[in-house]
Amino acid sequence: MKNRILGGIVPIVLGALIAVGPQTFAHVCEVHEGKMPMACHYTAQAALGIGIVIAVLGLIALFVDGRIRAGINIAVALLGALVIAVPTVLIGVCKGAMMHCHMVTLPTLIVLGVLTIVFAAIDVALDARHAK
Amino acid sequence: MSDSPARRRITPASLPIENLRRRPFRTTALTVVVTILSVAFFGGSMLTLNLKEGLASMERRLGADLMVVPQATSSKAEALLTNGNPSTFYFTRDVAGQVSKADGIAEATSQTYIASLAAACCDEKLQIIGFNPSTDFVIEPWVASQYDKTLQRGEMIVGASVNVSVDGTVELYGRTWPVVAQLANTGTSLDNSAFISNDTVPQMVEASARVSHRAMPKEYADTAVSSVLIKVKEGYDAQTVAENIKRLNPEFASLGFVYPGGVTASTKTSLDTLTGYLAVFITALWIMGLIVLLAVFGSSVNERKKEFASLRIMGATRGMLVGIIIRESAMIGLFGGVIGVLASSLFIFPFSGYIGNRLQLPYLQVGLPAILAMMAITIVLATLVGMAASVLCVVRLGRPEAYLTLREGE
Repeated sequence: MKNRILGGIVPIVLGALIAVGPQTFAHVCEVHEGKMPMACHYTAQAALGIGIVIAVLGLIALFVDGRIRAGINIAVALLGALVIAVPTVLIGVCKGAMMHCHMVTLPTLIVLGVLTIVFAAIDVALDARHAK
Repeated sequence: MSDSPARRRITPASLPIENLRRRPFRTTALTVVVTILSVAFFGGSMLTLNLKEGLASMERRLGADLMVVPQATSSKAEALLTNGNPSTFYFTRDVAGQVSKADGIAEATSQTYIASLAAACCDEKLQIIGFNPSTDFVIEPWVASQYDKTLQRGEMIVGASVNVSVDGTVELYGRTWPVVAQLANTGTSLDNSAFISNDTVPQMVEASARVSHRAMPKEYADTAVSSVLIKVKEGYDAQTVAENIKRLNPEFASLGFVYPGGVTASTKTSLDTLTGYLAVFITALWIMGLIVLLAVFGSSVNERKKEFASLRIMGATRGMLVGIIIRESAMIGLFGGVIGVLASSLFIFPFSGYIGNRLQLPYLQVGLPAILAMMAITIVLATLVGMAASVLCVVRLGRPEAYLTLREGE
C-alpha cells in the first residue's frame, strides 16, 4: 500500500501540478493578439503534455505489481528530467529576470521536476528491494 | 552477490545504522524533526544574508546625500532607491539651476525618470533613468567598472535584469535601442533600469508618443528634470542644505526632499524587524525540536532496556553502549541536516528573484563561499542537536544504578 501511494498517488499529484501550474498559479506571459507567442508559451504547452503523461503513468502504477511499478517510475523519473530540460535547455522562457515566466514558472517547473525525479527514484529503490 | 538483511553480519561499528534501519518509523519521525529544524535554520539564515547583501549593495550605489524632487513625489523617489515600481515624475519648471546655487553644495546633478510601458509579451516595464554624464557623480562611478566611455545619444546602459537581445539591443516603445553595457546585479530596482544620457530623453519621449501615450508633454521633453541629486560639502549635513535650498525661494518649501541615508536607515529598520522575527521563530522552533528529540531519545531508554541488557551480556561495555546511542543520534542529525539543506535549497535558490520581488526590499544572492559555509554550519548544528538529544539517554546509562536498571530488562 505504502509503495502504491509513493509510486502512484505522488506522480498523479506532481503530474497534475506540472500540467496545470504553467496555465494557472505559475502562469507564463500572455500572448497578445497579432503578436508571435514567446518561448514561455511553448514551454507551458510542453509542460501540459508531459504533466498529463506523468499523471496517467501514476494512475496505471496504482493497479500493477511492484516490478512493473518500478519500471513505470523509471519512466516517470526520466519525464521529470524532461520537465527540467524544457524551460532551461530545450525551449526556455523569456530572458528578462523580472518576467513572471522567468521569476515563477521556471523555478516552479524545476522544483516539480526535481521532486518527480526524487520520489520516482525512492519508489524504484523500494519496489526493486521488495521484488527480490 | 549482496547480503540480504537476514544474512548481513552485524558488527559493533554497523550496529547504530542497523538499529535505525530496524525502527523505520522512529527513524523517519526523528529525521523529519531534524529536517524541519534545518530547513528553518538554513532558509532563515540565507534569507537574512541575502537581505543584508542587498542592503550593502544599495548603500554602495547611493552616491548622493540629498535628492530634491517635485512636490508629493518623495515616496516614488524612495521606491527608486529600494526595490519599488518604476514611475514617471518631473518638475514643471526649471529648478535645477536655482537649487544648485544653495550654500553647502559640493556637487549637483540632475536625473530624469520615465517608466516604460509593459507593452507586448516580453517588453517589461523598465525604469528609464536619464542622467547628465558631464555632471553625474552617482551613476558613473559604478558604471565605470563596466563601461569607461561617454554614453552617446541613443545609447543605453542597462541593469542586470533587463532582457537584452542577442544582437545587443533592447526593444522599448516599438524601437530598438543599442545597449553598450549591462551592469552587475545590485538586488535593487536599478537592476530593472535603463540608463540613458539626458540628450536621449527627448528621443525616448517621442518614441513613447508614437506607440502609446506620451511619457511627458512635448514642452518638458527637452528640459525635463525629475530630481536634483546633491553631494553636500564637508562640514554640512543634508538637512541643513535642504533648509538652505528652501530659503532660496519661498516656493521651494513645497519641494520634496529625500535623504538617501535616511532611506537606507529605514530600509535597515524594516530589515532588522524582519530578521528579528525570523530569529525568534527559528529559536522557538529549535527549542521545541530539541525538547521533542530529548523526549523521544529519553523515553527510548526504558523501551530499549532488553536490548541494552542483551548487549551487556554479550560483553559490551558501558562506553560501547554510550557510543552506539551517540552515533545513532548523530546519524539522525546528519541525515536530517543534509535533507533539510537540500530541501531548503530547492526553494530558496530557484525562487530568489520572486522572493526579492515579493519582499520589496533590496535582495541580493550571496556568493558561493557564503552559501557553502552556511550549508556546512547547518549540517554540523543538526548533527550536534541530534547528539545533544541523546544526552539524557547517556546520563541515565552512566548512573551507578545502571546495572540494576539494565537488569530490569533481563
